[in-house]
Amino acid sequence: MALKDINLRIRRGDFVFVTGPSGAGKTTLLRLMFGAEQPTEGQILVDGINLNRIGRLKLDLLRRRIGFVFQDFKLLNRKTVFQNVALASQVIGERSAITKKKTHQILRAVGLSTKEQAYPLQVSGGEQQRVAIARAMINNPLILFADEPTGNLDPEITREIMVLFRTINLRGTTVVIATHSRDLLENTDQRVVVLNQGMIIQ
Amino acid sequence: MALRHWALYFRYAVGNISSNRLIHAISTGTITISLLLFGAFVLFFVNINDWVLEWGQTLTMSVYLKDDIDQQEKQGIETTLGRITGAEISSFVSKEKALLDLKETLGPQGRFLEGLNENPLPASFEVVFKNISWGSLNPKKIKEDLEKLNGVDEVQYSEQWLERFEGFVYLLRLVGLIIGGLLCIAVLFIITNTIRLTIYSRRDEIEIYKLVGATDWFVKAPFLIEGAIQGIVGALAALGILFLMYSLLSLKTIHIFGLPLMRVVFLPEGHTVFILSLGLVLGLMGSFIAIGRFFRFFYD
Repeated sequence: MALKDINLRIRRGDFVFVTGPSGAGKTTLLRLMFGAEQPTEGQILVDGINLNRIGRLKLDLLRRRIGFVFQDFKLLNRKTVFQNVALASQVIGERSAITKKKTHQILRAVGLSTKEQAYPLQVSGGEQQRVAIARAMINNPLILFADEPTGNLDPEITREIMVLFRTINLRGTTVVIATHSRDLLENTDQRVVVLNQGMIIQ
Repeated sequence: MALRHWALYFRYAVGNISSNRLIHAISTGTITISLLLFGAFVLFFVNINDWVLEWGQTLTMSVYLKDDIDQQEKQGIETTLGRITGAEISSFVSKEKALLDLKETLGPQGRFLEGLNENPLPASFEVVFKNISWGSLNPKKIKEDLEKLNGVDEVQYSEQWLERFEGFVYLLRLVGLIIGGLLCIAVLFIITNTIRLTIYSRRDEIEIYKLVGATDWFVKAPFLIEGAIQGIVGALAALGILFLMYSLLSLKTIHIFGLPLMRVVFLPEGHTVFILSLGLVLGLMGSFIAIGRFFRFFYD
């Protein structure tokens, strides 16, 4: 069992770090909150919606209000930076003109307006992660989950990405970041949830 | 669903085909080969059917008349023959014409006929069956009915040959249906598995679509369109190759046992449309089954 006796409440607008050693259950916790996995016991409520009782279609619709950023970026290498970001807007049925406008705006906000037509493999790791953040943010989500978002990045790029997350949080989005990096947690005034062997210890 | 959604699905499908050219070429090639096999079989069947029917149309029935027949009886027979579905009187052979024809056929050996005091040959109506539905034709009954008429001496036709011919046509149709059906299943199986390979090769992409909140339909629709495009393109290519093969073949006259066979015909318009539709339906069904299976695996 990856997690047990978890009782966690995250309020709207919170900025929360979930940390712990490898295998502590950080990713599982995020996947459960994202609806990618079902708990064997207990309940998970996101914005008042019980993920245990939600159907496939409703889960798809809920995910449109949740952004997810991964350590390995999960970008489509055959699509341009612009197309990767626009995808999340097209999926919700947004009109083409609005999608274009939103994509330009969000790419400008993450500092990638000059890389719109590049392919993911033509840009740096930090830029790829910013593309992934732009994709997660294009629909103004309620929550942004990030699983080891800076795991593959050097310290300078990590700082830039963290600034981006704080900006996003200041705009009202709840941000939950899973990380095992101590550097990220040093001098932070944000809430830190520590997991060990599947249990919350702090 | 709004037209703009379909436009988007179509753009996605075309984009996917363009960025996965190799795998789509393999997939379309498989459909082409499968439909080419199917089309070649249909072409073979169409020609065999055509030849058999043409041979069937040369089938004649001779209605021999009594020597003492009067004009009224003769007209009665003509009217009755005219009412038989598919039957057409090709000629009336008078007693004199029959003798002349026999003399001509026999050549120098026919001189003995000159010594005859009386012409022993009967006059006859030569009947040809055209555009007949072989299942509905009952030559035995036609013969019996005609022989009951006043003035008719005897009716002759190649009974055994006709029965074999009917049997052959039925057998051909049955074999055609069975082989055609089996080929369709095989084609569907091949297409489903080829498209499944395409889908599995893009499962990371599908996972990303689902992560950003795409509904199953949003993921499925472009694959269905891709399947349909592959099906139509595959069918068009198969028909093109088939036509090329037919053009090469029809330049030569086919001989069997030294006899020139009838012309080779290409698929009629209806069959061509059928193969195109079959390509479309198989492409769609193949995608539908493959993506359905993928999603069952994906959610497990």
